[in-house]
Amino acid sequence: MFYIHQHSCISPQQTFNDVDLEKLHEPVDKKLQAIEPSYEHIPPGMLRRMGKAVRMGVGAALPLLQDNTLPDGIILGTANGGKEDCVKFLNQIIEYNEGMLTPLNFVQGTPNAIASQIGILTKNHGYNITHMHLGLAFENVLTDADMLINDKPSNQYLIGAVDDISNSNYYFEDKGGWYKKESINRLDFYDTGTTGSVAGEAAVMFIANGIKKNAIAKVIAIDTLHNRDVSVMKEKLIGFIANNLPAGEKIDVLLSGENGDNRLQEYFNAAEYIAGENVVVARYKHMTGEYPTATAMGLWLSCIILRQQVIPAHMVKKQLPVSGYKNILIYNTYKGNQHSFIVASLP
Amino acid sequence: MNRIVVTGIGVISAIGNTVAENRASLIEGRCGISKLEMFPSKFSGSLPVAEVKISTAALKEKLNAHDPGVTRTTLLALHALQEALTCSHLTTEQISSFDTALIGGNTVGGMCLTDEMYEDAKKETAGSEYIASYDYGSVNIYLQQRYKMNGIINTINTACSSSANAIMYGARLIESGRVKRAIVGGVDSLAKFTINGFNALHILSAETCTPFDENRKGLNLGEGAAFLVLEKESDCIGKKNYATLSGYSNANDAYHASSLSDEGNGPYKAMNDALVKAELTASEIDFINAHGTGTENNDRVEGTAILRLFGKVPAFTSTKANTGHTLGAAAAIEAVYAVLNLYHQELYPGINFKDSISTLGLTPLQSYKKMEIHNIMSNSFGFGGNCSSLIFSKA
Amino acid sequence: MENAALKQQLKQQIVEFLNLLTVKPEDIKDDEPLFGEGLGLDSIDSIELIVLLNREYGIVIEDPKEGRKILVNVNTMADYIEKHRTK
Repeated sequence: MFYIHQHSCISPQQTFNDVDLEKLHEPVDKKLQAIEPSYEHIPPGMLRRMGKAVRMGVGAALPLLQDNTLPDGIILGTANGGKEDCVKFLNQIIEYNEGMLTPLNFVQGTPNAIASQIGILTKNHGYNITHMHLGLAFENVLTDADMLINDKPSNQYLIGAVDDISNSNYYFEDKGGWYKKESINRLDFYDTGTTGSVAGEAAVMFIANGIKKNAIAKVIAIDTLHNRDVSVMKEKLIGFIANNLPAGEKIDVLLSGENGDNRLQEYFNAAEYIAGENVVVARYKHMTGEYPTATAMGLWLSCIILRQQVIPAHMVKKQLPVSGYKNILIYNTYKGNQHSFIVASLP
Repeated sequence: MNRIVVTGIGVISAIGNTVAENRASLIEGRCGISKLEMFPSKFSGSLPVAEVKISTAALKEKLNAHDPGVTRTTLLALHALQEALTCSHLTTEQISSFDTALIGGNTVGGMCLTDEMYEDAKKETAGSEYIASYDYGSVNIYLQQRYKMNGIINTINTACSSSANAIMYGARLIESGRVKRAIVGGVDSLAKFTINGFNALHILSAETCTPFDENRKGLNLGEGAAFLVLEKESDCIGKKNYATLSGYSNANDAYHASSLSDEGNGPYKAMNDALVKAELTASEIDFINAHGTGTENNDRVEGTAILRLFGKVPAFTSTKANTGHTLGAAAAIEAVYAVLNLYHQELYPGINFKDSISTLGLTPLQSYKKMEIHNIMSNSFGFGGNCSSLIFSKA
Repeated sequence: MENAALKQQLKQQIVEFLNLLTVKPEDIKDDEPLFGEGLGLDSIDSIELIVLLNREYGIVIEDPKEGRKILVNVNTMADYIEKHRTK
């Protein structure tokens, strides 16, 4: 269990600087692309080298580190960070037939470049790690942070996740059948009954520690599962709720990672069933698109919902009269094999 | 009884396909570095690399791994994993248990298929069988599915310290009570991608590498994999304990994307913090398996940091002179070697060395030695300033 | 090619190749140090510039350390190009 004190989000919606979640930006050409800021905190000498994932990640992190916040470590997740630069380097290899090549794309393409650049910019010698396990990269970030903070509650960490839509990633996923064949807008995002979703990207960062005072939210529990069998997933979720929700507490909101892909619907239906009738169901992938670390934005949205005690109408799938939002269950599956379960609560 | 113990090990590298073969090679001081031959490249026949001399097709046959999309990286990992699991006598139920974690590091993933990835990244091509294999997590996803694992699975990429972080993460999962056992390690296969990347940075040597030598000219890339099974001592009474993982640390140099600071702040902090975790003093380290890549920067900086930390520098070598630099697998392979040192109470000779770095005066151990060994430090420092140090101790 | 024109072209190439976002070619003085003070480039930039010299002018420099002696400023680069270019 740990507390979130600050957060920052660069995404396809208006989530950076003046947050306005009512102003919904729609997919264009089956992509929800991030609205990138001017990155004034990143020195031009470093910015010139950064691919999109790196500049989004660094750009989201730096505002949280401006007031001399010196985290004890930097823990990031990305499934594909820097892949765009990898492919640029690959293109050089082919184009110049393994001749004289410029190394920058190779160096910037290493996925730990995001955490490393943040470390260099802030001269941070603490714990520094990049988790890469696809749809559970961010969940491993949370687990890692949870263990570290539990060991030393006064320690604080910059934690987060980034994934971008690069040309290559988009084509890999599209050819693998993970994006819609048809054009899509937000009104029919969840209801086409067809396979695939829409590509998305975001960089989400948090400052986390073990101190309750002035916290925005609390992450009570995290768990993960690899299994395609929906009955195993159900059993896991039931156990997760039973073992982690404090006595007398209940889930108020299920924040579902439903993404419009009909092949995955059985998992999200199962989560709704297990969460129970008296739970508000909300969805967010129409805001973020689908990408491996989308649950980071799920957690960010949970922080906003818990603070403002309002869920934007376009997110709500099932509304109920509730006295307040206290405990949010964030459930997601990435491609049906990887499942994640997170509970975020008022501090 | 709360110690983290190593109950199984598995390794494949240019100097052997099994633990026993690797050990025999280390004892005799065998060098696994030769001219590139296993895949077509401009560098074939000229660039010294450390290859596992089994073709990808032969690995598929041997491991019965004919699933579409399986890459060489995955196959090497599977080979070492199988050995570690057999060695540890984990049952099928234990492997599939929610209490068992699999944590692996790698830096190449499916990008060993450089040409295929180039084609698949184009809009107009149909998509090969490897479409879902290029990322780093796909290696551990394959292993998870093959062994029907249900516990915590993770993939870590911190460049050359990836598998050290995998080992640490697994140990911490056990210490925090989240899992009962953790299968930890890493892999990387040789690829046009990494060969050209390191070549572009001018840190490959055109000759066999000479770690810690005054006239060192760079590193030789290698490939391989290694896994260790970690368990809590109280959970495996009666099982063979090869060694204990008594200390570890992750620290960042925070200086430059692809080189270490002259003072070696990151390496120093990692080594020092690992000692603190192990509750040991520097003088209690009997041997260091150094990162020792053979580059001008690493060996000078690592040597500087070692001199800063150790009043009397213990015996040390870099086994990268035997295996090449296996990137994501390096820390795990070298962890297995540290375990072998402790289990057999022996040290292996450093090779490919002539003259000490003049400003440091450090000489790697030059001969095989049987001696009492209690604690071994193993260092891995990667791009992005990702520094790590592991300490293994006698069981 | 005239020396002045070469230097002009070189400055343009440096800005584009290294993606110098806040520097215009005309801002770079001929004798301004490229590394350390002045333009503030680093070791990765020096390797990039060696590749630039190869791709644009057919010059081969094997050792980055030797390269740094040539890559002092635009003047030294232009002089070297004039003497050694094969394109």
